[in-house]
Amino acid sequence: MITGMERLVAAINGKESDRIPVFCNLLDQGAKELGMSLEEYYSKGEYVAEGQLRMREKYGYDNLWSLFYVGKEAQLLGCRKTIFAKDGPPNVGEMVINTYDDIHRLQVPDDISGHPEFQESLKCLQILRAEAGGKYPICAYVTAAMTLPAILMGMEKWMELLLVGPADVRDELLTKCSDFFQKELTAYRDAGTDVFIYSNPFGSTDFIPMKLFKELSLPWMERDLKPTGTQGVVYYCGSSHFNNVIDMVIEHLGISVFYLSPMDDIAEGKKIIAGRGLCCGVINDIKLIDWSKDRIRDEVRRMIDQGMPGGKFLFGTLLMPYGIPEENIRAMLEAAYEFGSYEIREQR
Amino acid sequence: MFEQVVKAYNEAIFDTDRERALKVVHDALDDGITPENVVFQIVIPAIESMIKAISENFDASLAQHFMTSQIGAEVVEEMIPRFEHGQNVIGSVVIGTSWGDFHGLGKRIVTGCLRAFMIDVTDLGLNVTPMRFVDEAVAHNAQVIGISSMMVHTARGENGCLKVRQILKERGLEDKIKIAVGGAPYRFDHDLHKTVQADAWAENGITAGRVITNLIKGGRT
Repeated sequence: MITGMERLVAAINGKESDRIPVFCNLLDQGAKELGMSLEEYYSKGEYVAEGQLRMREKYGYDNLWSLFYVGKEAQLLGCRKTIFAKDGPPNVGEMVINTYDDIHRLQVPDDISGHPEFQESLKCLQILRAEAGGKYPICAYVTAAMTLPAILMGMEKWMELLLVGPADVRDELLTKCSDFFQKELTAYRDAGTDVFIYSNPFGSTDFIPMKLFKELSLPWMERDLKPTGTQGVVYYCGSSHFNNVIDMVIEHLGISVFYLSPMDDIAEGKKIIAGRGLCCGVINDIKLIDWSKDRIRDEVRRMIDQGMPGGKFLFGTLLMPYGIPEENIRAMLEAAYEFGSYEIREQR
Repeated sequence: MFEQVVKAYNEAIFDTDRERALKVVHDALDDGITPENVVFQIVIPAIESMIKAISENFDASLAQHFMTSQIGAEVVEEMIPRFEHGQNVIGSVVIGTSWGDFHGLGKRIVTGCLRAFMIDVTDLGLNVTPMRFVDEAVAHNAQVIGISSMMVHTARGENGCLKVRQILKERGLEDKIKIAVGGAPYRFDHDLHKTVQADAWAENGITAGRVITNLIKGGRT
């Protein structure tokens, strides 16, 4: 039986397996699977690992997540309050940075692997690796230096500092965030993670003008990735467009996997990548809450018809909202398996 | 000369250059342009121009939206005390993020735009209960409640817009107070504002300024 890892490796190398790889990013749904509240579920690495393994087994997609929730990174940098909802992802409950003095005081942990807040993530990774290592790619979520301040001080204050604040304070914060990124990615890599979702909405001109992308985002991304390299790194800007910067990202950063926005044109993205990397077409998964099964099937088919010709294509989701009905998750995945099958495609 | 001032101001805000934009305004005042003209002929048209550019698929970034609204609000705040005939507020709005939502950037962009449009805005902050939205709207005699949500569950949830609508209905306030919504989930599902029973929605913070102004004037968007 072909594994998810084999499908992914085949796709990266431009070869065929049984079907294209399918990444389905179910996180909070693990709590429902285990019959727990989200707060209880995210309290133990064992629970998250069990949720991930059960959901992958149940639906048959190709990836596993070590991510609990995005606010975990703020916890590693001193946040002590997380607000849990009953039907959606947890929120950062207090800002680590409230004044510029807090930036001067911010300390990046020397050893993230040994940090108390990282221990449950490590437990989760150990279990995933023992149960599925080498068979299904294990993903980690690592936030770029340019975006991490938004989690630490709020997007409003970060925009202010970035656009009109003192450049020395901005650069001090970015340096610390970049140092943190490098250490975090290394900790995840040491623990056996295969795929690093390099999350950076500020890597999109939906967030900042092209001028600032070139003057700030690009150099800070270069700094983030210089010591760690780009092996397994996936360019991801949240739900923001980035087709217009792919060439620069390939040329300056050497990243070769692109997790597009649902709003990006897949065919255009593939054309720009031009065989230099893997293109991930991403469904607008908010719509899965209300779409009919037929509508879901049509959309998956449309996306795969755009992305699959020529190979080096992966079908993916954003962070699937908790409210998507299970039958719609199945409808999306069944369509992806069917239309992404090389055998069925040949028959069509 | 006036056209050059407008052009210089527009270029400064598109470049997210606050200092330059403020210098253009202050130089214009020194050259005899009235505070009223600064607001109605420079600042508001600059926001309108960005709304038009966005509608024509110009890829204005979030940073440009942010700076346009913040500079606009700052200039208007500075100009209003200098108006010859005093301030002419066109309406009142209360705005906040929905219950359980702690993402304030969109709300701030909208607030800045509305202030630049001479609308009185009461910012209720983050994580606002449906009851508070309505109570504050009544207390401030607001025509519009603005609800910003960055997350799917806070946009669609039982303590978001749906509950605000229910309270307005129960109190017989639906004709007096309209609801406008916005935030990421609405950009990815253009029918969501109907699902949550809002009167209007806006794709981004800058456009929201115009959408809410239209609601105040009695139209729907």
